[in-house]
Parts: sequence; structure tokens; C-alpha cells
Amino acid sequence: MQKLIDIPRELMTEEDLVQPGLLSCQGCGASLAMKLALKGLGERTVAVIPACCWTIIIGTYPYSALKVPVIHVLFETAAVSASGVRAAFDVRGEKDVVVMAWAGDGGTFDIGIQALSGAAERNDDILYVCYDNEAYMNTGIQRSGATPMGAWTTTTPAGAIKEESKKDIEKIMLAHGIPYVATASVAYPDDIVYKFKKARSIKGTKFIHILSPCPPGWRTDPGKSIQVTRMATQAKVFPIYEVENGRYTINIYPERQISVKEYIQPQGRFREMSDKMLNVAQERADQKWDDLVRMAEDSSL
Amino acid sequence: MTVKKRSDLAKTYDFKSWRDFTPMNTSLGTMLHNLTGSWRFIKPVYEDKVPACQNACPAGNDIEGWVRLLQEGKYDKAYWYLKREQPFPAILGRICFKFCEAACNRAVLDDCIGINELERFVGDQVALSTPHPDLPEYNGKGLAVIGSGPAGMSAAYYARLLGFKITIFEALPVMGGVLRVGIPNYRLPRDVVASEFEGLKNMGIELRPETAVGKDITLDELRNEYDYIFLATGVHTSMKLKLEGEDQSHQIMSGLGMLKKVALGEEIDPGKKVAVIGGGNTAIDAARTAIRLGSDVTVIYRRSESEMPAHPEEVEEAREEGVDFRFLAAPEKIELNDDGTIRNLVCCEMELGPPDESGRRRPIKKEGMLFDVKTDSIVTAIGEIPLFDYLNEIVRTENRTVAINECLEVDAKADDKARIFAGGDIIDMPHTVAHAVASGKRAAIAMDCDRKNVDFADTLKKIVIGDGPAISFSKYMGWDPVNPVSYNNHVVVDSKKIVYDYFSKALKLQKKIQGPDVRITSFKPFTSTLTLEDAQQEAARCIHCGRCTECDNCLIFCPDMSVLFKGNGQFGYTFDYDYCKGCGICFTECPRNSITMIEEESPVEED
Amino acid sequence: MKQVIKGNYAVSQGVKLCRVEVISAYPITPQTTIVEDLSEICARGEIDAKFIKVESEHSAMAAVAGSSSAGVRSFTATSGQGLLLMHEVLHWAAGARLPIVLANVNRAIGPGWNIWADQSDSLSQRDTGWVQIYCESNQEVLDSVIMAYRLAEKILLPVMLTYDAFFLSHTSEIVDIPEIEQVDTFLPPYNPEFKLDVDNPRMFGGMTGPDYYYEERYIIHKDALETLELYPKVCEEFKEKFSREYDICEEYQTDDAELIVVTAGTITSVTRIALDKLHEQGKKVGLMKIRMFRPLPVERWCKVLGNAAKVVVIDRNLTAGLGGVFANEIQAALYPLQNRPVIFPVIAGLGGRDVTPEDVENIINYALKNDQPTDIPLFWGLKE
Repeated sequence: MQKLIDIPRELMTEEDLVQPGLLSCQGCGASLAMKLALKGLGERTVAVIPACCWTIIIGTYPYSALKVPVIHVLFETAAVSASGVRAAFDVRGEKDVVVMAWAGDGGTFDIGIQALSGAAERNDDILYVCYDNEAYMNTGIQRSGATPMGAWTTTTPAGAIKEESKKDIEKIMLAHGIPYVATASVAYPDDIVYKFKKARSIKGTKFIHILSPCPPGWRTDPGKSIQVTRMATQAKVFPIYEVENGRYTINIYPERQISVKEYIQPQGRFREMSDKMLNVAQERADQKWDDLVRMAEDSSL
Repeated sequence: MTVKKRSDLAKTYDFKSWRDFTPMNTSLGTMLHNLTGSWRFIKPVYEDKVPACQNACPAGNDIEGWVRLLQEGKYDKAYWYLKREQPFPAILGRICFKFCEAACNRAVLDDCIGINELERFVGDQVALSTPHPDLPEYNGKGLAVIGSGPAGMSAAYYARLLGFKITIFEALPVMGGVLRVGIPNYRLPRDVVASEFEGLKNMGIELRPETAVGKDITLDELRNEYDYIFLATGVHTSMKLKLEGEDQSHQIMSGLGMLKKVALGEEIDPGKKVAVIGGGNTAIDAARTAIRLGSDVTVIYRRSESEMPAHPEEVEEAREEGVDFRFLAAPEKIELNDDGTIRNLVCCEMELGPPDESGRRRPIKKEGMLFDVKTDSIVTAIGEIPLFDYLNEIVRTENRTVAINECLEVDAKADDKARIFAGGDIIDMPHTVAHAVASGKRAAIAMDCDRKNVDFADTLKKIVIGDGPAISFSKYMGWDPVNPVSYNNHVVVDSKKIVYDYFSKALKLQKKIQGPDVRITSFKPFTSTLTLEDAQQEAARCIHCGRCTECDNCLIFCPDMSVLFKGNGQFGYTFDYDYCKGCGICFTECPRNSITMIEEESPVEED
Repeated sequence: MKQVIKGNYAVSQGVKLCRVEVISAYPITPQTTIVEDLSEICARGEIDAKFIKVESEHSAMAAVAGSSSAGVRSFTATSGQGLLLMHEVLHWAAGARLPIVLANVNRAIGPGWNIWADQSDSLSQRDTGWVQIYCESNQEVLDSVIMAYRLAEKILLPVMLTYDAFFLSHTSEIVDIPEIEQVDTFLPPYNPEFKLDVDNPRMFGGMTGPDYYYEERYIIHKDALETLELYPKVCEEFKEKFSREYDICEEYQTDDAELIVVTAGTITSVTRIALDKLHEQGKKVGLMKIRMFRPLPVERWCKVLGNAAKVVVIDRNLTAGLGGVFANEIQAALYPLQNRPVIFPVIAGLGGRDVTPEDVENIINYALKNDQPTDIPLFWGLKE
């Protein structure tokens, strides 16, 4: 039987809140992520966008590709600007409007982490979305705290590829005790729509981390964007799960499991990854998955 | 239908003075004016392709099409749709070699689709005697089909749909050729064959059994009486062992002979022990027939099991039924008693040497390694050959086949008498029923082209399916496929592009087959047609390789909102080339490779 | 109603009277009691506002930028280092035309850490596009909050009002606190045409290329200059309602003054005392108190200072390598005049060092005595 992607056709054929004419590259995961997110959220949404690829993708003055209100904000202020917008909408009595901070990995893991931490500690009622292409792609593929170990970037060039691991942003966010932390991936679009629909009904700070492929940055074939992203989950490098008030649920049990080595195969950015790093990465992926499975089991008790 | 262009909604602003600006930095419109389609160098098109199963089928059976109709619950429609390319699903659904299943892409994930069982199911949905609902007027040309086997039946069926007036001549008192007298009842019941002929008769085809061409009527007479002749006399003569004594015992018989006797209801007693020589389907059929007649059977084959031409399933069932197999052995000498009974069959051990012209390793005698086989009868099934006496040298033959060109027209003196075509086992082609049926179709189309003075080679190019040589009758007739998306019958689905991640594993339904102990008690069939639920369940496993099923993957995954669902009762999707960047995600994520990426310069047909 | 209150309290009362809807601030000495007062006011329900207790000043500014973009009256307060940390967002708020009001307690810039009065912090933000108002008294502080919203929401530019650390922030003065109903007649609810609105979706602040950025900036500058026309009108309206008079600058005994002292902040009060004494001595000295510093009131300053022979500018700030900012800007403003007064730039009171009436008297005498400044600037009170 074919596992149809569980998104009702009526939803897919509704007029898109993201209109075409985007300035994104061919095969851009970020574009798809926004399209799917807004399918889940609907039009009563405000997007707060710091400096990131979407600053460009959305279009230039006086045009905007989105049919929801958008405010561009400073790089490091996504979360707190969203908090401000949220306060305003509450004052206006429009409590059903979702205020969504839509930031890249730079604006989340690095420069924006202070504001994010502050908002999370306050449990401000915002939806914070990090679409993660694993480097500062907008400024030309420089490494970020989200860049995985072994990856080439312009600031971790050949001969000095990144040795440090990717920050575990989910653990960081969970440490703040917020009601909802989830990972998602453009390879599993129905899961994204489900999570964004769900986010609407949760009060407090919600954090959704979407793995978002970047063909120029990952050195992949644009047509293979979704395939490669799916492989990330199949390799247990990016498991798809959600934590709601401390309860873990694994949303995607991959259709098959592959090795990390297989995952990095189609990606030019990992060409220099040493076997030693690969082994470490494989161990970590295995460990992470085992931990997750255990957490999910404990949660279901 | 043209989908309303979103680019028509684009509006641009051109500020000439600071006074034109908004009071603060805020947007006025969308980015629809940015026609990102200009970035492309390759673009996607929806192109349904030939699935692996259809490509492998010698008859070009559009399996995916009728499986789809089956899934939709349109059983009658599925039946008539299937018959467009293969007229006898009830027959092939029981005995086909199943080239399709061997090629089925689903096997990569779990198991192939049980296409054969599904074909049988479809074949059993409509009474076989039902004539085709859309019979055309006669076109004024007459066709004589010589031989009522599958090739002849197929030629008659398609020729009737092309308007020919047909008579099928059959030497035996029963119609069906190898289907009737060569394949045992337990594999293909007689009444199925009889019903098919009812159907042909109800289509206006004249049946003339007990009329042997060359005896009761000559080929020359037919050449005067008809405009076209189709030779389909098959191979019903067994090859000889070429051992001394072979013709001197009533206990030495051919496999074909044995099968025909049983098929015609004649008495036969092969004795307690039977040795069947050979490794093809005839040998197995004969062996399993002998088992049912109460004998102990050993099949002696000169190569090893993996080289046997017989279908592995048949071999397995035979084994279950108690047939013994002795591989790498061949008869060396027959020792007869004075009364003609067999005293001993001396065999020689064989070993495999280098490959021969068939590609299989040549068996070589291990000199001196002889052994005895005590047996009551010997059944020879080492190959079948045709009898060409009736041709009376009118038609050229070579290597025991009728020489033909690509139209299947024979090499005969050009004159103003009937044009002669040939097909089935008498031409140089694999000896399977599927191939025979395919040849009948081809000949009918060739005759029609000839009648209309249309170049067949040209036609062939248009109607060939995939890698060929199968051709599409639907394409010839201009009939639409089930799925009205742009269909290219020349492109075979790229199996490497099937995305198995979108399918859950589900094993093929186990065939319901009676146990061997029950089976050997009679010649009754021991399998049953699938139930409706089972058929639906099995059909649901079909990947629909190369054919769009409106799964929405392209619609969901396009990052540029450039896939639009047509809606309004129309099938499928359309690309908005104003914005499509040609990234290829839709192409990669289509689970069944029904999208093709073409270079930007190519014109796209408006559908 | 008249009360004896500290400067910080005056700010919080002003915020309450203006029915501010979103407040976000991060504590820094000596602004902290504003944050504390407002927290209590919110907690007691005296004001129907959301208070976002952010984790830094940069975030505070970003938060109110966010809320203001959504069309809601917003407020923040800071001082010294906090204002500097807001720098990037200050630019953004002005560029985004957000009518935010910020109360800045003028505090010195480190290192070394210094929490006392110094105007270097707000002056270092003079390029951000904000309107800047310098206050002399706690009454002025409270009134300036109210006028700031009126002006900001008319001109769609953010307004910063500043006042000296400790001298005002923590010093009690008599302040006439108006009734909220009265303020309502002066300050209508904020309801902008352009705001984040799901019923009228727009994008704000997007990429703007070389073909359009220039004009956008021009428009902001043009509107900023319009403030110079608008503010006096706002002050007129205020006078009618509240009977207190304000303007772009205040002139004290400048008619036929030969020497005019220019000050901003609490040094002004000290200067008044010195002037009164000098008047008794028959000296023709006047005072121009700077209230509005940005946009630069070129025309008004030329008008006020143009006829004096000498202008003494007392800067309670210092830019290394430049000198005092007020002196620098006054020189620039007066440049178009045919007959320019001689400018005597003086630095005094950095980092909260006290400036007494005697100091000011001596400074003026120094200027009266010399035709030209002996030092540019003169570092009054420097330990040499």
C-alpha cells in the first residue's frame, strides 16, 4: 500500500499563504518549511523574521510573498520582538492570533540565543520556529553552532572542517521548562502540518526545530533536497519527536534505518569527514536514538 | 482547460518620486511579478510511462491500467480494458509464464504483485462467451486462421475488432490447440477454453473444427478464397530421442501424445513406473499427468535444475506431488523385451560444459558413467517441432520455423492471391502462450496496415511498447489509456527512481492451493480464483510504476507553489511554468517516476 | 495634584497617565526604580499594560519595537550602558517609524564604572534618528513624557527624554501630577494606519535596494525636520491644558545679552542661580536651555544665539578626540550666520562631579574676561 502523505487535499489546494515568485534557491527547504507551516497555522498568524534567508526569500520593498503580516527584526531579537508583538496582540484582544518567530539557525543557536532564552524563561506565548539549514547560509555558508561535526563551510574550510558537534538545541530549550519542544523535517510534511496545527492550541513558549536542506550549502543536488533530509531521520541524525510538558513522543519511526555514512554520501559538505569523526557521529546517533526511545517509553508509562 | 494564471495577478510599482513611497517601509503587493520560471534550465513534465510489468509482457498487457480499474471497483471495465492488449485473461491468468511478476518493481520492497492471480480474477468477472460490446462493421476482407491455438485465437480476436471476416480452421475435433490438448485440465480447465471459443463465435468468427488444412482443404484453395491467411499450426510433433528401439515399443510415447490422449478422454496406461525425458513444461505436464494416473514418475533431464526451461513453480508442485527428478542424466540406450515392453533404460551421467548457442551450459557425457533405470514406460518430452507438409512449399521455412519479416508476413511468391502471415510456435520466437497471443495481435495489425496501404514499419514505431517488441493495440486504435495524463508508450519507467520509502511492506497473498495428496487424486484444478477482498488487497499493493495516481506528493513538496491540482473533475496536476524553478524535487519525490525532467528548450504538449 | 516625588517616580506617573499598553525594561542603576515603580503599578492594576521583563536592554528595545509595530503604545527606560546596548535597535525603531517613548537617565559611560550624572550616553545616540528632549526638573520630566507621546504619535518617530542621574532620578521635587482624564483630552488613543494586522496583512522593514533606500531615508529626514514645526504646537496645546509652558528651548534673560550660556539638564538650574547673581552685578548674561536637541534646531538656535557676542556652552559630556557635543553642534548650527558669536566650549561635571553656582559664575567670568577661549574646550575643575 502506498503511505499517502496525510495532508487533506482541500488544505493543499487552498490558496497558499506563501505566493510564488520567491527569491529562494532551487530546492530550498526553507521555502517548503514556511509553506507547510502556514498550511498548519492558517491566516491568523504574524511572522516575526530576523535576519536570515527568509529576509531575502520573501521579496524586496515594496513586495511581500506572504499573505500574513510580517515584521522584519534585528538578527538577534527574533524571540523578544515576538514577545513584544504578542503583548500587543493580547492588549488588542486578539488572543487567537499566533505570533510566530521564524528564525534560521544563526538567529536561534548563536546570536539570538539570549533573547530566545529570555522569552522561554518568561514562557511568553509565542511560537518560535527555527528552520535549520545548519550554517549561516544567507551570508554565504559560514559555520554556526548548528553546523554538524565534519561539515565544510566557508569558515571551516577544507583542512579545518568543523570538529565541534552541533548544539543540542532541544535540550537547551527543554531546560527552560517550556510546554512544547519539537523537531520536524521537510521530508515529513504531514508531521509539520500536524505540529503547527497543534501549536495553535498550546499556551506558552513553543519551540519547533525544522531541518531545512540547503543545496548550495550542503553541496547537494537541488532535486534531492527532500531525499537527503529524509535520510537524516533514517540515519537517526535528526529524529522527529515532540516533548509536550515533559512527555516524549517519537513521531516518526523511519521506514528504514541507514548508517551515518550512507547519509553523508550525497552531501558534498561532508566530503572531508574523517572515519574517526564518522564513527563518533554514528555512536552519537545510535546513543541519541536509544535515549529517545527510552524517554518515549518512560513517557508512555 | 487553462488554469487561471497567477502571474496575471502580478502588479508592479514604479516609484518615480519620494512622494510615491509609502510613509514607512511597508509592502504593497506580492512577488508574483517575479517569474522565477526564467531561472530554469530543465523543467518537469507529467509523463506516464510504461511500467516494468507491461514492458516485460510479450503481449504488452497494460497491467497497471486494469489493476487501477480493479482497485476502483470497476470490474467489468477492468475486464474489457485488459482485453485491449491480451484477449484471454481467464486463460493466461491460469497458465502464463508471468514475465510481468519477474519484472515487478514491488519485489525490491517485499514481493512482486500477484499479477497472474489478479488477471485470473478479472478474467473470471465476465462470462467468457460475452462478445466484445463494440464490434465494428466488416471491412470487406476475409481472413483464414489455420490452427486454433492461442496465436490463432488472438489473431482472430484482433482481426475481428479491425473488421475482418474470419474463419478458424482446426484439424482436431476440439478447438484450442495446445491450450486444449497440450496443457492438462488441472492447469487450464477445458470449459474455460470452450467458453472463450463461445465468445469468439458470438463475435461472428466462424469455427471449423475437424478440418485439416493440407487434407480436408488445401492451402492453395484458401489462398483463392480468402484475402489473408494466418498460419498458426503450432508444434505438436515430438522430437525423437534418436535411440534404437524408440519406435518399436508401445510403452515409449511422446509427452505431447500422452497429454493429447488424456485431453481427448482416451484411455491410457503408462504403467507403474514412468521415466519422463526432458526439462520443459511438457515434461512436467506429462510427469504430473502420469502421477495422477497412479504411476511413480522420474523426470530425467540432461542439465541441472537451474537450467530447466519449465517454470520453477511447476517443478516445485511436481515435486510435492511425488515426482522424482534426476538431473545431469540422459538416455543412452533402450533395452526392450521381445514383447515390446521395456526391460531397461540405460542412462549416462552428464556434466555441464561451456555454454551453447542457447546461452546455457552444454551437457557433456561423462563417458562410461552409465546407470540403469527400471521403468515401465518412457515419455519423451525433449522438444516439439512443427509439421510443414501442408505448406506445400508455397511458404519458405528455415530451421523448423516459417520465415517471416517484422510484419510477420511469410516469404512466399508475390502474387495476387491471399497475403500469408504466421505466428505462434511455428515462427522463431519463445514458445510461450503470451508470445503466441502477442504474435496474433501483431499479425492482425500488420494485415490491417496492409489493407489500408499504411507502412507497418512506421506504425510499428508509434505503437511499440517500451523496449518492445510488444505493441499496443490501444495505441493503434487511438483509444485513451485509463489515466488521461500525457502517456509516452516509448519510455519505460526508471525503476531506480521508484521511492520505496513511500510504501509500507505488505507481503503478497499466499496462493490458495490444495495439498499435493488431494491434487493427485484427479485432474481437477487445485487453485481457486481470488475473492473480491483478497483481490482488492493484493491490487492495493501495486506501486503503479510510471503512472500518476494523484498521490499529491508533487503538490505537497514543491517549494515554489508551482504545482497546481487541476480539480473540476479533471485528472492530475499542472505545472505553473511561470514560477517553476526546475529544482527537480517533484521528480525525485514522485514515488513512481511519472514525472520526467526535460531540457528547457523542448516544447511541451498542452494537455 | 502637587506631590513631592523623585524623577523616576515622575516618569512612572507619566507612563501611567499616558495609558501605555506595553512596557519592557531592564534594570540598571539609576533607572531601576522606574522599573520597580511600573512593576508595582501594573501589579496593582493601576495601569492596564503588559510588562515584559526582558533579559537585557537590547531585548527591551526590541520588545517595544515589536509591540509598537503592532500598533500599541509602548514604553521603555534605561540609562548609560543600557542605552548603549540598545544602540542597534534605536536605529531600527526610528527607521521603522515607531512612536516609542524612552526615558533615559543620563549616566556616565564606563570603563571605569560610573553611575552618576553625565550626558555622554544620550548624546552618543544622536545619530539614531530619535527626537531627544533634555529635562531640567521632575515636573519637566513628567510633562515631557506626556508631550513625547503626543509628538511621537503625530510624527511617527520615537522620542527619548533624558534627565540627570541622581540629581533628578533620586531627588524629590514638587511635581503637579495632572488627572488622567485631563491627560486623555490631550493625548488620544494610539491607532495607527500602518500596523501588524491579520485583517490587512503587510510586510514591514523588508529588503530595500539602492533604487529605493535613498528616498526612504529622505522621507525620515524630512519628517524629522517637520518635528521642529510640530513640537512648538504640541507645547502650545499642552500649555492650554496644563498651564505649563515649554518650547524647543527656553530663553532666560537673553534679550540684549552679550553673553549667553547654553546648558542642558540640571546644570541649567545651577546656572540660573549664577546668572541672578551676575545680573545684580550688572552683567548682561543670558541663558539658553536646550530642550530639544534632535532634530537639530538650527533656525531657533541661530535666532536665540545669533545676536550675542559670546556663547558659553557647558557640556556635561566628553567625546574623546572631539570635545563636548553640544559645543560642537552649536558651532555647526551657527555656521551659516554672517556674524557668529565666539564660542567658549566648557566641559564640566563629568561622571557626576558637582557643578555649583560658583563654578558657573567663574566659568561665565572667564568668558567675559577673554575675547577668545583660552582652551578648546576648557576642562573646568580638572585636577591638574
